[in-house]
Amino acid sequence: MGIIRAKDVVYEYIRRDEDGNVEGITKAVDEVSLDIEQGQFIAIVGHNGSGKSTFAKHINAILNPTEGTIWVDGMDTNEEEKIWDIRQTAGMVFQNPDNQIIGQVVEEDVGFGPENMGIPTKEIWERVEESLRAVGMYQYRKHSPNKLSGGQKQRVSIAGVLAMHPKCIILDEPTAMLDPNGRKEVIRAVRGLNQVEGVTVILITHYMEEIVHADKVFVMDQGKIAMEGTPKEIFSQVEKLQGLRLDVPQVTMLAHELKKQGIPLPDGILTTKELMEALGV
Amino acid sequence: MLRDITLGQYYQVESVIHRLDPRVKLGGTLLYIISLFLFKNFIGYLLAALFLGIVIKLSKVPFKFMVRGMKAILLLLLITVVFNLFLTPGTPLVTIWKLTITIEGLKLAVSLAIRLTLLIIGSSVMTLTTTPNNLTDGMERMMRPLRIFKVPVHEVAMMMSIALRFIPILLEETDKIMKAQIARGADFESGNLLKRAKALVPLLVPLFISAFRRANDLAMAMEARCYRGGEGRTKMKPLVYQKRDYIAYVCIVVYLITSFVVGRLPFFTV
Repeated sequence: MGIIRAKDVVYEYIRRDEDGNVEGITKAVDEVSLDIEQGQFIAIVGHNGSGKSTFAKHINAILNPTEGTIWVDGMDTNEEEKIWDIRQTAGMVFQNPDNQIIGQVVEEDVGFGPENMGIPTKEIWERVEESLRAVGMYQYRKHSPNKLSGGQKQRVSIAGVLAMHPKCIILDEPTAMLDPNGRKEVIRAVRGLNQVEGVTVILITHYMEEIVHADKVFVMDQGKIAMEGTPKEIFSQVEKLQGLRLDVPQVTMLAHELKKQGIPLPDGILTTKELMEALGV
Repeated sequence: MLRDITLGQYYQVESVIHRLDPRVKLGGTLLYIISLFLFKNFIGYLLAALFLGIVIKLSKVPFKFMVRGMKAILLLLLITVVFNLFLTPGTPLVTIWKLTITIEGLKLAVSLAIRLTLLIIGSSVMTLTTTPNNLTDGMERMMRPLRIFKVPVHEVAMMMSIALRFIPILLEETDKIMKAQIARGADFESGNLLKRAKALVPLLVPLFISAFRRANDLAMAMEARCYRGGEGRTKMKPLVYQKRDYIAYVCIVVYLITSFVVGRLPFFTV
């Protein structure tokens, strides 16, 4: 069994009118089942309202499934007494960098998680230093978070989760509010964690360029998993992706169009280099 | 820019006073203020001023920063002095038109003025030399005994430090909303007081909504990082008394005893 396993997870939002009567039920997550292995880089994509963020919040036990079960490292998220162990195992980074930094100094914020876990002072400092180094923010440890750029703030948030020594990090659209440079910074840091530290990464995003390096991609639509596979497998189905209102990287799109014009090219070209090689340039 | 505002009025410089444990500074300030109200003669005030002078000298904070705090209460000070001067019954000293200044009134007014000035400057020294963060930490530790009476000490301290962290963010947001509305023709600067106050409503509503949304997000982020109140929590930067803190305590006690004795000598009485 993998580090994260979901079986038939359903989550329903109950919509109510002003008097509190039930108006209707929306299934934000609909029968999702998946199995994630330790050490993988997983991407979950989908357009707005596809249920990807709602599903992500289940892994951290912020939300509990209406039906079905999620196991994090063998622990059922429905069990109240395991909730803190689960949150320690699967850390979560949110979208808005300003709304998740608690400390007034970078290092204090990174120390917040370990403090809550009751780690001895000396070890907190070690963890803070090592996590800040892992995301390349060590030289900013004495700064106020208010004076950092969006990408830097988001890296501090990642360090804050990393200091809790999780086996798995869930990033819920961590780049949605960042500029292209900040986005690159954050994705680079996340990939580093996965490759160097061996942390399982679950990246929720709607930027398709960010999923190119994932080991496995899940595409969500209307609460269901619509597609799953390696980035190559996913991107070879350009029409289907467009049907799900998702963008395809420019290179992949170009290769797809060329192929339609009769130029023999393999499916699922992800980088410029690959396309050039396939064209024999 | 708004991002650069310093909170409270912390003045960054290396000094013994800056490095003192916040608990010493908080306790010291409190005791100092109490001592000001125990004096029965003017020698006591002299002693208090001398003590404060030494502390200011040690803190290396320019004196003009201390006086800055005085501006805010200048009016209050003036009113108190004037009222005490003219309205205290006793032996008349001078009579101008219908107003009489009495000897008692003069003494009372002068001693009140000194008392308030020392009080304000004394507490300024504390806020100027302690970061808001340290201050909340110190308060949390000092109030800890109150937990017996079910006072949520940790929670209050946490709220204070979160408030401090979010003030610059909300200020920036206010600025953003204001600019967005000015761009669409809102007018915040002309008209009478009532009109201006009304113009603020469309500013405050979105600000409040956004503040609530932020609070919601922050609570979720804190829970995701295993925050569950003060129970079983360790500190990254625990407050530990150093040698200098004990020395400072001794100094405060010595000051208190001398001022208590000297302040009650029967010369130059108030």
